[in-house]
Amino acid sequence: MSQIYEGMFLLDNDVVREGYEGAKALVTGALDKHGATLLSARRWDERRLAYPIKGRRRATFLITYYQIDGNEIPGLRREFDLSEKVLRYLFNSVDAVPEGEVELAQAEGATDFTVPEPPADDAPDPEPEPEEPEEGEEGEEGTSGEAAPDGAEQASEDAPEPASEEAPEVASPETSEAPASEGSDESDETPEKQEA
Amino acid sequence: MVRKIPKVIAGPSCDDPVIDHKDTEYLSKFLTPQGQIVSRRRSGFCTQCQRQLKKAVKRARHLALLPFVG
Repeated sequence: MSQIYEGMFLLDNDVVREGYEGAKALVTGALDKHGATLLSARRWDERRLAYPIKGRRRATFLITYYQIDGNEIPGLRREFDLSEKVLRYLFNSVDAVPEGEVELAQAEGATDFTVPEPPADDAPDPEPEPEEPEEGEEGEEGTSGEAAPDGAEQASEDAPEPASEEAPEVASPETSEAPASEGSDESDETPEKQEA
Repeated sequence: MVRKIPKVIAGPSCDDPVIDHKDTEYLSKFLTPQGQIVSRRRSGFCTQCQRQLKKAVKRARHLALLPFVG
């Protein structure tokens, strides 16, 4: 019984540099070889890996949707396990192809579509966004630094206001309780005296 | 001793429990700085959604989209 699967493949960037179509054909060819009906195949992203795989720190992600008999899956897995050009793969069974996926795959097949060349393996990710928060953090640090001369900078992060408020509050009830208790004793005594 | 109650991370409602393993930006909200999945108490998910979160994070880790540690 055939089922629709989502296949995500991590391709070696060296293979992609030689030609993206050839790298894509590695996957689609293997799928065809095992009798899969390819529904869509497109480049998902090229990004830095969270941990190195086979000595590679970056990889190109290829996402495919295909229909295949479940009995063919072990053979397909074995093929990709033996391949050195596919760093890693993941098959998931899905109910249907997500909306817009086929259109994106068709757009990739257009003549205007060009795949950017993958950067070097050690190249850092271009992230201009984190720079702005850093500036904000510096500003915040500056404000905390300004508060430092006033005293208790570290304590202010933990809970400065309650601590400062608690101290007088604690002190005030004690002071207030003592006279109140005395007063209450006196008030207790007075009724007894009055009763006597 | 006052026990600190962890802040609940705002997750999706259980009406739409589909958690995609490719959405790493969203999944990383439910990881500690060490890369551990936060508890249901912290994430605010129901049992089924927490299981989906676990599965999605583990799939993302397999694809090196998320780290196992750190």
